Amino acid sequence: MSPAMQSRGKKVTAPDNLYTVILSLALAAVLATAGYVAYQCLTQYETLFKIQ
Amino acid sequence: MSTLTKVLIVLLTIASIFLCGVVVTYVASADNYKQMYDQRRSSEMTAKQQRDRTIEEWNAAQKAMAEEKTKLNADMAALQAQISTLKGQVADALRERDDARRRKENYESLLAANAKTGELHAQLQKEAQDAQVKLEAEKTRLEDELDGVTGALNEKLAIVMQLEAKVKGLTEEKTAIQNKLDQFLRQYGKVTAQAAPVTVMREAARVAPPATDIDLKGSLSAVDLKNLLAEISIGAADGVKKGMRFHATRDSKFICDVVVLDVEPDKALGWLELLQDQPQDKPKAGDAVSTNL
Repeated sequence: MSPAMQSRGKKVTAPDNLYTVILSLALAAVLATAGYVAYQCLTQYETLFKIQ
Repeated sequence: MSTLTKVLIVLLTIASIFLCGVVVTYVASADNYKQMYDQRRSSEMTAKQQRDRTIEEWNAAQKAMAEEKTKLNADMAALQAQISTLKGQVADALRERDDARRRKENYESLLAANAKTGELHAQLQKEAQDAQVKLEAEKTRLEDELDGVTGALNEKLAIVMQLEAKVKGLTEEKTAIQNKLDQFLRQYGKVTAQAAPVTVMREAARVAPPATDIDLKGSLSAVDLKNLLAEISIGAADGVKKGMRFHATRDSKFICDVVVLDVEPDKALGWLELLQDQPQDKPKAGDAVSTNL
């Protein structure tokens, strides 16, 4: 926690949402990528973690 | 948030998105190894099955080949035996062919010899025919000559018969005249010599009369063994007469007999008889001869 955020208190500004969106985008990209990889793994190898 | 945080967030986001893009790209372009494995495995299974099938077929083919090989070996053995038999037959045929060739050559030589013999026979026959023609001509000539001689002989025989009849007549006439003469001379106390018979007996060989108690001795003065004649050293003056038999001796050994054929006053000619076989016992000049042994 940065002192800037503590100083503001509980007030949410637009730059905070922007970075949230950016992080959420990044998270979404990662999750999408993980999901895609899992899907591919399941379809191709029919397993996710074990090597059959 | 501090600026650094913001920067980090942005960088993180960018890196995340980049990495996600890389991962997605990699995963999307990556080979489906399971599928490939499954395909390879199915291919391998298929290949194994095919290999097994091929091995079974190969074993079956091996077995069939072994059986075929055994059968072919048996066939080969039979064919080898047949080949040996045929080789023997070929050898026999070659021997027979060589024998036939030798017989053929012998027959050809015999035929050639026969042809030469035939030619020789023909030549001899021709010569014999020529000789026969000549002989027939000679025979004809001799027959003609014989006819002539036979005719002449018949003429001579007729003449001889005439002469014999004439001689017989003359002899009988002579006998009648002799009888008349005897009758005429008897008147005066004389007689004539004994008359000869009408038919004269001719003797081919006269046997010498035995000369006993004469004891004439002489020697062989000449000997002709070729003509069987000998000359003795005594003649008519010593009492030798025709027909006398002298015995020739040498050293008290009998040599031969000598029958007197012709007599001269001091020598006589005789015929040799009873000659010995030994050459040393042949008569020769100087051997003693006598009428008594």
